[in-house]
Amino acid sequence: MTEPTASIAATLTGIRFSYDGGEHWALDGVDLTVRTGEYVCLTGANGSGKSTLARLVAGLAAPDDGDVTLLGHHVFSLDVANDADAADAAADPADAARHAAGFGADPAEYRAARRSIGAVFQNPEDQLVTTVTADDVAFGPENLGLDRATIGARINESLDAVDMAAHRFDDPTRMSGGQQQRVAIADMLAMHPAMLVLDEPTAMLDPAARAEVMRILDELHARGTTIVHVTHHDDEVVRAGRVVRLQDGRIVEDVAVAPARDHVTTADDGRSDGHPSRNIAETATPPADARSTVAPEHRSTTDHAALPADVPAITVSHVTYRYPSSDAPAINDLSLTVTSGETIAIMGENGAGKSTLARLLCALDTPTSGSITVAGIPVAASSNGTARRPRTLDRRQRARLRRTVGFVMQHPERQLFADTVADDIAYGPRNQQLSENDVAARVTEAMRLLHIEHLADRSPFSLSGGQQRLVAIAGVIACRPRVLVMDEPTASLDDVATARIHDLIRTLRSQGVTVLIITHSPAEAQEVADRVVMLGGGDATATVPTTPPSGVAGSSASSQPRATRNSSYIARLDPRVKMVTFLAMMFTAFAIATPAQLALGAALVAGIVAASRIRPLRLLASVHMFLAMFVVMGLLNIFFVRSGDVLVRLGPIPVTDDGITIAVLYALRFALVIILGAVMLETTTPTALTDGFGSLLSPLARLGVHTQEIALVMSLALRFLPTLGTEAKAIADAQAARGGSIETGSPAARLRAMTALCVPMFAGAIRHADNLSLALDARCYEEGIRRTHWHELRVRPSDLAFAALAVVYIVALIALPLVVG
Amino acid sequence: MSVSSHTTNATSTSSATSSRPDTAHSTGVADSGRWSTRRIAMYALFVALAMATSFVEFPIIPGIQWLKYDPSGIVALIAGFAFGPAAAAIVSVLGFVPHLFMDPWGTLMAVLVALFLSVPAAVIYRKNRTRNGAIIGLIVGAVCALAIAIVGNLIVTPIYAHMTVAQVAALIVPALLPFNLLKFAIHGVVTFLIYKPITTLLDK
Repeated sequence: MTEPTASIAATLTGIRFSYDGGEHWALDGVDLTVRTGEYVCLTGANGSGKSTLARLVAGLAAPDDGDVTLLGHHVFSLDVANDADAADAAADPADAARHAAGFGADPAEYRAARRSIGAVFQNPEDQLVTTVTADDVAFGPENLGLDRATIGARINESLDAVDMAAHRFDDPTRMSGGQQQRVAIADMLAMHPAMLVLDEPTAMLDPAARAEVMRILDELHARGTTIVHVTHHDDEVVRAGRVVRLQDGRIVEDVAVAPARDHVTTADDGRSDGHPSRNIAETATPPADARSTVAPEHRSTTDHAALPADVPAITVSHVTYRYPSSDAPAINDLSLTVTSGETIAIMGENGAGKSTLARLLCALDTPTSGSITVAGIPVAASSNGTARRPRTLDRRQRARLRRTVGFVMQHPERQLFADTVADDIAYGPRNQQLSENDVAARVTEAMRLLHIEHLADRSPFSLSGGQQRLVAIAGVIACRPRVLVMDEPTASLDDVATARIHDLIRTLRSQGVTVLIITHSPAEAQEVADRVVMLGGGDATATVPTTPPSGVAGSSASSQPRATRNSSYIARLDPRVKMVTFLAMMFTAFAIATPAQLALGAALVAGIVAASRIRPLRLLASVHMFLAMFVVMGLLNIFFVRSGDVLVRLGPIPVTDDGITIAVLYALRFALVIILGAVMLETTTPTALTDGFGSLLSPLARLGVHTQEIALVMSLALRFLPTLGTEAKAIADAQAARGGSIETGSPAARLRAMTALCVPMFAGAIRHADNLSLALDARCYEEGIRRTHWHELRVRPSDLAFAALAVVYIVALIALPLVVG
Repeated sequence: MSVSSHTTNATSTSSATSSRPDTAHSTGVADSGRWSTRRIAMYALFVALAMATSFVEFPIIPGIQWLKYDPSGIVALIAGFAFGPAAAAIVSVLGFVPHLFMDPWGTLMAVLVALFLSVPAAVIYRKNRTRNGAIIGLIVGAVCALAIAIVGNLIVTPIYAHMTVAQVAALIVPALLPFNLLKFAIHGVVTFLIYKPITTLLDK
């Protein structure tokens, strides 16, 4: 090393890394030096080892062999090669480790290095730990044990740096992907990293959001932050000062690109092989003969009976769709006709209604007005000029639609569930009650079309992301749809997998299948579609011939900043005081047994609602869910109370006036409980809830209970609850589109349908957890760590006053029957 | 160092004594040990899944509308099989917390039933990690949960409805028993069917 260590951010030498105990090497003999202030791109195909390398540079994992120094900390040293039995030892790293020279991973050094390394990952949502932006940014500094004033300053400066200061009170889980990724970057900046490692941070973003993130990275680099960026986008690669390309676990190219802003010279890098950087763009394009893999015999498969050419496959007429929670329509007066056998691309910004249109075509949602016909099936028929919702399908028509229309949702790999690939693909055909021979034929055909025959007996969960996508698409193709709707089928796939999907679309086209593909990529539209339909601004727009659209500007799905947070008296209460008093009032509300007590309780609840400044209508909405329950409870009471005067007799059951009084009383007291609960949840942020929960539990820490960890588990669970809810709906829709149903069929079929729902839900939870654990590592969370809290918990006089009020109320509630009675 | 202070510090001590931390590719910081970040994240997502499924309630026996089935018990059972009795307990308790602010007494009972179902099952499966162990665990858990469900109903139902304990007791054979038997049967069969693919995912 000729340079002083101060100018080196990371040095990795002789790195080997295996995920399967040495059978395959994800990294095999990698040397990499990153200088301070450098902007390095790591690139290469899926599975080349670039993400693994990024994880090692970020200090989030240790290699099997080699030497790692991060920001001056010598974190890992193990030299298996020096061992006499190196050749044998390489086959078993664990055994080799015992003989090898070096100290392995040094936790203290890793811990010290990691405090100055930021890491940002692919999935923006999984990096968020809570539902208020400022609190989310505070999490890292809290783990570093910084004091409150410093944390406050760090939040301000890092939100400013990513242009998100206006959103500090907003819920990041409801933001656009681009905004979420900027919050994730702010999360890291608040910890003042010397080096930022980003693993495909734009892979799940649309072009406008990608541009936002890239601009932020340029600014950070200009301010001196070392950046290591994993990407397979050519336009992102060219922004870096240096490009390192990996192939099969080795660095095959390491070149300086020297854009104007780069202030570190990399031309003298010894590992640079001198290839011009332009190679990257060339080698990234798919092989020219990709299309020759379309086997001609598929064209002879004639039982994909094409519709007569003069019949339109899809007719959309004056369709408007408005989400129940939204005022602005997602789709406004859209008309569209797709001729049988045509392949069309649907394009438009995020929020233009592309995915909504797909859901409407597959009868997963019903338009607010207008009519839709798909392959002659009236998916939605407008009821002549009336304001009523269009009529939908009956069960028989729906089953026919499921057999006719295939739907490949976004990220279809998230629907995989079976033990083997072949079984998963067979799910749709089996739901069509085909014979096992026919099912097997369908499965084989679908696997051949996607070139995945060799995966038939593998577990879908052991495959790479790209392979999983192909399996999931095969599962839809096996239903032999005559109309295929695909929502961004190639998003975040590498070139090889993308080429296979394009092949598939061309093959289907040659068989007369009508294909509708939603895409953000003009190149993709150009390559596979006969024409492009642009959606935008909720309006139907012109159909244009296949030409790239003009630049997509401004992500329309970005959320608008909220002015302030609720700062009412109730909202400002100490969360511990609030939780304990509210729960006490809720439990004791069940003691209400007389109209006087009910009046007292109602007065208190009305006062609390007023002091919390929540719109009563909003509360009504939360009670609304329970109305059905009240009715059942009420009926039960009416039937079981036999005292008092009999008013009516329903068969053998007398209905008495006491019964009705009690039914009303019980329902109303239960309503009070629910309103109290709703006020509690509405006025308390999840962070406050968790801080309070943790603080109340903390005495248990003396008994060896991990109260801080349990409180964090609770907090993260509340944060991910809506995410899992949305995913569950997507999974249910996708399996329904393959003909699965829990409500109908034999017990065996129902159990299979239940499995097809449960396994992907667990798979989703595990996938989020894997991503989240890395995000927690990146934010320096550790078991038993001394954390500080940005929100100080302090019991003030106003809290004591509220607690006193609650005590007086409860005493009065209990004393009332004694006084009155 | 003040970084890892007041509670157990097993992670760093164990890794300091061996040439490598206990897990392959572990840096020894927070990725291994009893409460690793991965474990915290897994518990959190399982709790979230239990919360999400606890809101999916539907009657399973025609005519007994007020007893509703919810699949959250499956999540607690899977958590117990995968991570042990402590995980089962955490998922059973925390998974019902959102309900505490809507239906306090009913929630207490639901938590007890979930605990008595999943913790014994997890304890038995941990001692005998075979298909038989899983089946025995599910059956023992179901018997414990059945007992607590009936006792719980005797106590809680009179709080919601104007009924005496005797009136509730009269419902045991026509309603409570068949409902709970069917509920635990569904829990058990589904858990048994989906556990294998889920372990494949966890071991990945």
